[in-house]
Amino acid sequence: MAALVRGLRAGRVLRGLGSVQGIVSPQCRNVRRGFHRATLLRLADDSKSGTSVPPPSFHEVPTAGESSSSSEPLEDGQPNTSYQDQSGEHGEDYETEEQLQVRILTSALEFVPEHGWTVEAIAAGAETLGLSSASTGMFNNGAGDLVLHFVAQCNAQLAETLAEQHNLVQLGQAESKETAEFLRDAVEMRLRMLIPYIDTWPQAMSILLLPHNIPDSLKHLSTMVDDVWYYAGDRSTDMNWYTRRAALTGIFNTTELVMVQDSSPDFEETWDFLDNRIKDVVNMANTAKQVQATGEALVQGLMGAAITLKNLTGMNQRR
Amino acid sequence: MQRAAKCALRPDLSLVFCPSSVRNCRAVNRVNGSVLCRRYSVLPPPRDKEEKAMLDSMLRVDHAGEYGANRIYAGQMAVLGRTQTGPLIQHMWDQEKIHLEKFNEILGEHRVRPTLLLPLWNIAGFALGACTALLGKEGAMACTVSVEESISEHYNSQIRTLMETDPERYTELLQIIKEFRDDEIEHHDTGLEHDAESVPGYFLLKTAIQVGCKAAIYISQRI
Repeated sequence: MAALVRGLRAGRVLRGLGSVQGIVSPQCRNVRRGFHRATLLRLADDSKSGTSVPPPSFHEVPTAGESSSSSEPLEDGQPNTSYQDQSGEHGEDYETEEQLQVRILTSALEFVPEHGWTVEAIAAGAETLGLSSASTGMFNNGAGDLVLHFVAQCNAQLAETLAEQHNLVQLGQAESKETAEFLRDAVEMRLRMLIPYIDTWPQAMSILLLPHNIPDSLKHLSTMVDDVWYYAGDRSTDMNWYTRRAALTGIFNTTELVMVQDSSPDFEETWDFLDNRIKDVVNMANTAKQVQATGEALVQGLMGAAITLKNLTGMNQRR
Repeated sequence: MQRAAKCALRPDLSLVFCPSSVRNCRAVNRVNGSVLCRRYSVLPPPRDKEEKAMLDSMLRVDHAGEYGANRIYAGQMAVLGRTQTGPLIQHMWDQEKIHLEKFNEILGEHRVRPTLLLPLWNIAGFALGACTALLGKEGAMACTVSVEESISEHYNSQIRTLMETDPERYTELLQIIKEFRDDEIEHHDTGLEHDAESVPGYFLLKTAIQVGCKAAIYISQRI
């Protein structure tokens, strides 16, 4: 297993080296990438990427027909240090491409109310940072990148706040909450982060439901739900782990849907809906516990009857 | 940033969880209960996603293994509990219970997802224990021998992996796995001492059970 990991790392390094020395032809790489891209929904990036400036010291001068594909960025969002070192453009930058992308997307969020969750918002964000709007070519997933970045940012904020609260409780400076109350507050906190973007959120939700975004959005959702339950004190190591997270996912998703069409002041209806759903889940959990207790009592009764029977028939002797 | 916050919390969490490990120390007569009385966490804070994934799958499959072993002994006790081998099987079962508790602790503390197939291992383990026990004491011992051999082989390969990666980083985890592996080998030897090999079809039974164990390990690492 360790050898495999080392092999993978070596492979990555070799690929990086290969691109430096031009061993692997860019066209080859682009054809491969083209296959990947062909299956993804492109959000009108072709025109943009045609105008983006490729690092000159790196690629061979592309033919006219291949200009759109070979001017695609070299990496898939992972920092490639050889690229940074070789390219003339990023020579002085000590910032990785990932960090730059994060900065652009964060500044693009300001323009979401105006442009929606689109590449135009990213372009506007890039321009406020003093970059050309053609740097949207860096984002292969376009609006999807923006939405996923926002979701990741919200989740990170939530996790940080929950960790701080948890710390305070551990230090005895705050009261620990009941599970139901804790879940309610955590979900409310997370959903309140959507309020500035609530008008355009349906668009974002539909972007997250696109097939190529589903793995990432599911990953973010499951990490967030896991965080919330962990700080709520869940340390279960059996099927409860799954049922609790499934329940919270259901609560979160349905409340989110209610929120986007809620027009009451400060979303009161949404929080009422959330309260009711959490009460439902708590009721279900209590009922399940009662059913289990009844079942156990029943089994004990049956075992008692069986032992009595064995005693009566003389089968219960030590052999 | 998330991870840093969690790492900062880990010492506090260990203090919170210490009471249960202290309870373990008092309740258990172990010569070197050092493993159970640790006051700090077993795993180092993960330095990247790959390491976390590797440790996650290792702990998940170990947890599933101990859970399955528990259920196997439960099945054996259900059939042979009132016979002469009852106390012996009970003793081995108690040791497995300790292992399971330790893994429960580790999984909870380090946010490792348990395997989705736990209900399946629950039923399959109990059924295996009960069925082999119906073959008599030798059958139960043969089952014990096969399972413990698989488990100790599996723990050995995990120890090898950890030693190859970075023995100093994983000292506590290595110590736990080594201790548990020694217990499993002890169970294996006990099984052999108590006429495991004299069950009819021993070779066939052993192979079948070990194939099943390998499949279970493979699946639990992933699901």
